[in-house]
Amino acid sequence: MKFGLTFVAALLVAVSPSHGHEAIFSWTYTTDLTPKGHGECEQWITTRWEKEHGSYSVIDFREEFEYGVTDNFQLAIYLNHHYVHANDDVPAEDPAHPGNRLRGAYVTGGEDVHAGHNPATVFDSYHFESVSLEGIYRLLSPYKDPLGLALYFEPSVGDQETELEWKILLQKNWLEDRLVWALNVNYELEFEKEDGGGYARDGMFEWFTGLSYRFVRNWSAGLEFWNHHEFTDATVHEHSAYFLGPTIHYGGERWWATLGFLHQLPIGQAFSHDNKEFAAHDGYIFGDEHEKYYVRFRMGINF
Amino acid sequence: MKSEFAFIALPVSALIAPSAFAVRYLTVDQAQQAIFPGKSFTAAPVKLTSVQRKAIEQASSVRVLHDEQQVWRVSGGGWFIVDEVVGKHESITYAAGLNLDGSVKQIEIMDYRETYGGQIRDQKWRAQFVGKTSKSTLKLDSDVKNISGATLSCRHITDGVKRLLAFYEIALRH
Repeated sequence: MKFGLTFVAALLVAVSPSHGHEAIFSWTYTTDLTPKGHGECEQWITTRWEKEHGSYSVIDFREEFEYGVTDNFQLAIYLNHHYVHANDDVPAEDPAHPGNRLRGAYVTGGEDVHAGHNPATVFDSYHFESVSLEGIYRLLSPYKDPLGLALYFEPSVGDQETELEWKILLQKNWLEDRLVWALNVNYELEFEKEDGGGYARDGMFEWFTGLSYRFVRNWSAGLEFWNHHEFTDATVHEHSAYFLGPTIHYGGERWWATLGFLHQLPIGQAFSHDNKEFAAHDGYIFGDEHEKYYVRFRMGINF
Repeated sequence: MKSEFAFIALPVSALIAPSAFAVRYLTVDQAQQAIFPGKSFTAAPVKLTSVQRKAIEQASSVRVLHDEQQVWRVSGGGWFIVDEVVGKHESITYAAGLNLDGSVKQIEIMDYRETYGGQIRDQKWRAQFVGKTSKSTLKLDSDVKNISGATLSCRHITDGVKRLLAFYEIALRH
């Protein structure tokens, strides 16, 4: 117990007293960056769970170190790893009618279940997923220009998939910068390892938006919305899924923390036959891509 | 049970009592003597009417957040004003000394809880406001230099001084 107390106390007082980039949203990026010559260590923990059937839960961990190269250009490196538990979570295919589900039958699968896993058995695994690099360049500041604007690029390399992600970040502030609105428009290309060898190419178009208000000193709260579109082979539109939820943020002199929750809205749309058959269920989109609930915690320490 | 409570209480108290880390640089008395050394001060607080408030907002293009303004009349002429603006996480308290003609004599940062960007306390940065009047444009980057990583604080102090200069014209001058 004494060790625990000492550790927490040390963590709170040992970090250098400064703040730079901090995430007031859990999913949506703002155009705030770490200033030149300063750095930030950030821990992300995301849990997501519940699919159409069975059990499915993932805890994603991301450790990030970011550095302000200039006041308008930030570089970051991420370590991505996760714990996955999956059991009978995706609909099984009817061997007599390929491309159609076998009613009432489920197997173990999903995006985070590794290629080659026996779908008849439970998947329970911790896995180091990938390493990502991130560069953000800010063109306009929300504190000096009518609108904040930044461009984002993130390549990730892992043993199961390789990803390239681009984002356009927008931010608008009102009420002495206490009310913040942000919009991110993202495009992502994924090259995912397949069971038979080789890689499947998927494309994702998505947008995130959030509105947050600093209601008392140090504390802000808001809402975030996420709309995700998936494209097989980066060309065939498979589905559109929608998420909404609250977020709360504490920002202090030495560190900050943000907690957000997203619930998938039962207004998802499946477009391809495959997604209509295997992913859509009661208005939700599950399949390989999505879960019903998401909770994300982020904490950053600046120096 | 007691030790578990202590384990939770430490980070929680750090969360809800962030002002424990706040930096108070100057008291009102110290700020008064820093700007008007050797002078005496008579409190003359001002409560703005809605007409005055609107006029200040129109003249400065900055929103007035508080109707009451802490003002002192300085012996021999001039005004000493304590004001507050919104910082990144908390309020920033500063004092402005105005000459008899309404121009800025000096500003002093009294409380700055945003540790990053503490250079706003540097004499060189504060000196940019000296001599400014309600006729001055006072725009960040062109009239007042920005400080890296503290753009919000710099802009809000600049806007605050602009608002105080309009306050002088509308509520103090006559």
